[in-house]
Amino acid sequence: MIRILNFTLIVITGLISLGVYRIAEQARMTAVELRETKSEIASENQSLTVLGAEWARLTQPARVQALAQRYLNLNDRPAVQRASVTQLPSKFAPPPESAIRNASAVMAQRSRAIPTLHAGT
Amino acid sequence: MRTSREAANLLRGRIAIAALISAVGFSVVAARLVDVMVLSSTVRRESPVTPAIKRADIVDRNGALIARDLPVTDLYATPAVFWDPAGAAHQLAAVTSAGEERLTAAFAPKKGYILVQRSLTPEQRDAVMQLGLPGLEFVAGHKRFYPSGRTVAHAVGQVDTDDNGISGLELGLQNRLRSDDDPVRLSLDIRVQYVVEHEAAEAMQSFHARAAGGIVMNVHTGEIWALASLPDYEPNLRKLQPGDSVRNRMTQDVYELGSIFKIFAFTEAVEEKTVSLDEPINVVSPYRLGHYLIHDFERLGPALPAAMVFADSSNIGTAQIELRSGPDKQKPFLRKLGLLSPLKTELPEMASPLYPRHWETVEAATIAYGHGISVNPLTFAAAAAAVVNGGTLIHPTFLRHREAQQGERVISEETSRTMRQLLRLVVTNGTGTKADVPGYDVGGKTGTAEKAENGSYAHHLLISSFCGVFPIDDPQFLVFLMLDEPHGNRESGGFATGGETAAPAVGRIIARIAPLLGVAQRDTYVAANP
Repeated sequence: MIRILNFTLIVITGLISLGVYRIAEQARMTAVELRETKSEIASENQSLTVLGAEWARLTQPARVQALAQRYLNLNDRPAVQRASVTQLPSKFAPPPESAIRNASAVMAQRSRAIPTLHAGT
Repeated sequence: MRTSREAANLLRGRIAIAALISAVGFSVVAARLVDVMVLSSTVRRESPVTPAIKRADIVDRNGALIARDLPVTDLYATPAVFWDPAGAAHQLAAVTSAGEERLTAAFAPKKGYILVQRSLTPEQRDAVMQLGLPGLEFVAGHKRFYPSGRTVAHAVGQVDTDDNGISGLELGLQNRLRSDDDPVRLSLDIRVQYVVEHEAAEAMQSFHARAAGGIVMNVHTGEIWALASLPDYEPNLRKLQPGDSVRNRMTQDVYELGSIFKIFAFTEAVEEKTVSLDEPINVVSPYRLGHYLIHDFERLGPALPAAMVFADSSNIGTAQIELRSGPDKQKPFLRKLGLLSPLKTELPEMASPLYPRHWETVEAATIAYGHGISVNPLTFAAAAAAVVNGGTLIHPTFLRHREAQQGERVISEETSRTMRQLLRLVVTNGTGTKADVPGYDVGGKTGTAEKAENGSYAHHLLISSFCGVFPIDDPQFLVFLMLDEPHGNRESGGFATGGETAAPAVGRIIARIAPLLGVAQRDTYVAANP
């Protein structure tokens, strides 16, 4: 009787030890993976930081203007606003007809006035 | 006497009890192991990585990067470990940019911990690794990088090699930058800043000026959208190039700003109702005041309406109008506008105004046209903003702050409205016509001050400036530009006055930045009608 009990206990102890070892080993491997992933994330974040700074350097207005003048062949003309968002019809309430008529009149008047605007700026 | 059978039974019982105790013990240990390994695995939490002390990013009002700490590697050496210090110095000097002589001298005593080089490039780092020298250590550090370089140098300032702020907002916002990882959002707009810097540089070059500077400020929120001072410097190099300057002329220097100060003399007169804008004022030159003679820049006729005294910038007329109030009212009025005390902003470099201790009649007359009082341009801009924004004093700020400030009322809304009309008159009919931009209804005032040299004013050394606001019926922005010692050119008809040098530059700045500032262009024309 006692022999059977002893044998059973030894087997159980052996199995438990094996199980614990397996779990401990898995946990260790996972911890290693976690550490690697964290370090990869840190390194990616660092690259983002550096690339963000590089982007800011490349898009600074002075550089963009110099490049635009060199390659785009655009005239350095001041921007002229031709219409305002307030002139657009409202999505919710249909505007009275007079407002639309006035807006077109204003637009027509503006387009006549535009050619004189660049003088003196 | 026990029999041997009884003794054997007793022994067997004891063994069974011992086995049971062992089994329970092992079960407890096993249960605990499972508990520690599987169930409560969070007990073994990794200690959080302590972040290196670094500074937060600085971004402009739209989130564009202005300053950021970039990771770098510093190289240190422990010479005590070197077999051949001179050889190590030679090898290290060859692959890094450290000087061989310095390293040889530093390694010779074979003790201590020596900085070989800061901010190694990745290639240098690899090359040092290839040497295989003992006693070397790579230390991860940070270096502050300013992507826009010179463009915002003066406002943002810079840090020392240990990443401590030493000037500008880097110093003024030091605690905020150190305490929090979130980026600090400034009121500056990098695009507007670039335009101001660019136009100031062009004006400085075409008029051969010694220095120049510009400010763009929202007159309701006090937000500074741009602040430029030339000559500037490259903050990414830690030394100045020939011709560079770290002086922020918009805050650190005080100037007698000249006629641009007439804004305050007229504001006072309109507020105190000591003048009616259509009354004729005698402007016969010169005007004698005690031992002093006051001149105008040009003959303006025997008399001018008061409004045209402002528009044509007559010193004689302005002095007479000011003397109706006198020094006893002028001094408290200028104090109320904040012109007699140091301005408080996030920028640490801020010069205090200079004004006469004895402020009598003569001083009152000269201060009316901007001589005898020196303020820095930012202080002037804050006071001028109060004149046009409806009459409340705002505090200039470099942090984004969308709401209008509920400033202290310093003049009535009615006075502010009248002053806007007068400022428009300067641009439509007066000295500031070159600042006008169709569709934006610019108002403003020109300033041409003579610099004091050896105790008297030098006619050829000028401070020429223009302060513009737009759109004039509901001003949103103030644009100030100043040139130090400009010289007339063909384009300006040989004149170096504010109206010929600074005013056209302000007009160009407004034409370029107004679309960025969200100010709509109109086709109505606001005529001056004071």
